[in-house]
Amino acid sequence: MSIKVINPGFLSSIQDYGRITHASYGMSVSGVMDEQAYMWGNYLLENHFNAAALEIVFGSVTLEVLNDSVICITGADLDFKINNKRALTWHSVQVYQGDVLSWGVLKSGVRGYLCVKDGFETDVMFDSRSVNLRENIGEKIQANEVLKCSKSNDEINHFMAAKFIPNYEQALTLRILPSYQFNEFSLEQRELFFAQTYQISSANDRTGARLSGVPIAKTKSKMISEGISYGSVEIATDGLPIILLKDAPTIGGYPKIGTVFSLDLAKLAQKQMGDNIKFELMDIEQAQKQRAEFNKFFAIEY
Amino acid sequence: MHKIILAGESSILIYFGDKIDASLPENIANFANELKSQYSELIIDQTQSYTSLLVNYDLSKIDYSKFSDKVKALLNNFQFSDSAKAPSIIHIPVYYGFETGLDLERLLSEKDLSLDEFIEIHSAGEYLVHAIGFSPNFAFLGQVDERIQAPRLATPRIKIPAGSVGIADSQTAVYPADSSGGWNIIGRILLDLSLNNPENIHKFKTGDKVAFYPITRDEYLSNGGKL
Repeated sequence: MSIKVINPGFLSSIQDYGRITHASYGMSVSGVMDEQAYMWGNYLLENHFNAAALEIVFGSVTLEVLNDSVICITGADLDFKINNKRALTWHSVQVYQGDVLSWGVLKSGVRGYLCVKDGFETDVMFDSRSVNLRENIGEKIQANEVLKCSKSNDEINHFMAAKFIPNYEQALTLRILPSYQFNEFSLEQRELFFAQTYQISSANDRTGARLSGVPIAKTKSKMISEGISYGSVEIATDGLPIILLKDAPTIGGYPKIGTVFSLDLAKLAQKQMGDNIKFELMDIEQAQKQRAEFNKFFAIEY
Repeated sequence: MHKIILAGESSILIYFGDKIDASLPENIANFANELKSQYSELIIDQTQSYTSLLVNYDLSKIDYSKFSDKVKALLNNFQFSDSAKAPSIIHIPVYYGFETGLDLERLLSEKDLSLDEFIEIHSAGEYLVHAIGFSPNFAFLGQVDERIQAPRLATPRIKIPAGSVGIADSQTAVYPADSSGGWNIIGRILLDLSLNNPENIHKFKTGDKVAFYPITRDEYLSNGGKL
């Protein structure tokens, strides 16, 4: 069973929960950018939490179904259609051999997910199916490529109530933990950081989101390089923040003012260049409690 | 001396010192192993760097304050050694030439050195692996002789060929794969360190030593080296 790529779009790649145990070899965590949308897709299909999905950025993708399959579309509204007719999203859907799945133009959000029953069975590379272009691990999908997955028929009928479907147009305030060099930034620097509204710049990809705004004068330009956590906010030499994301290097030498809470990074994954971003403080107890609940709900094992 | 700080919702950073020191890589690696063996069910991943260790733990099993306490207790009881035991040395052949060493000509004139002198200095060093990171299999090696140290390029190159040997301040390293980067490129190696061979992830360990030796253009080309 499989799905054939007709039009690969701009940047669509297979991702799972991530390559989470290879940082010591210099490998990024990788994996899906929007953990919320991805987890819901797998949940509605009764999949394992780590089942691989197709992450579609900005749309313009066409696929052909080669065998009957149960799928679930979540994440950005990219005008998803089956055989050229608007189709259900955030809902398990049976598709049949010969059906054409298409994503058109972006209507809301940035990243869409195609989850299939039991996940895509692409090659496992270093314990994960996640593609990382920066590290030359795997490739984005290509025209005529066949993405393997098992044949499945509809015994599942799950959907997300409309009121719970995320609204990606909402203003975003990222909650941030006072980690790393937070205390080495002066009170004035921190005030400026939390008071202002930043914009996402054009340098915004799976590696990191660079923000534009009023620079905060830097404390020290370079420090001894140290391990980077997902969501770390570096203050680069120009005084502007870079939020480090799934494909970020494992080690870096810029001072970091804090670390963004992971479930807010899922929301950030649906924002694009020019969108506004603000920050507010969060304490570690709150962050751990909320993430632990998320992990428990979706049966995430680590 | 040792310090534990918050790094993320499921990670802490442990500092073992505030200066780059030759005894740290091995000590940190030993501590990381000990931590992993004592609490394997709690630890997801660890990232070692020059003076620190980032530890990613399972927040579903233990919270920040309890985990920090466990790490603190282990730190207090851990035997750190002053002198590193004799590490294994990895020898790597380099063709130091103007075709492969993209910044070599400029560096020679800035440093007022002949090519032979430059090669002699770089290949005389036995470099310690201080950290592995930035990209897969990228080993940060130190310390480079002051006579050939050079700061990163103001504008990083878009593409540096795989195998290129670079210098950035007191560090030297090999780019395992084609990559963007701002290090001064002085030559290229014959070994493939990329992920094309998955076993390469075991090539370098923190605390190991690396030594480079020069090969001629002919030796480089006849063994499959590319220009």
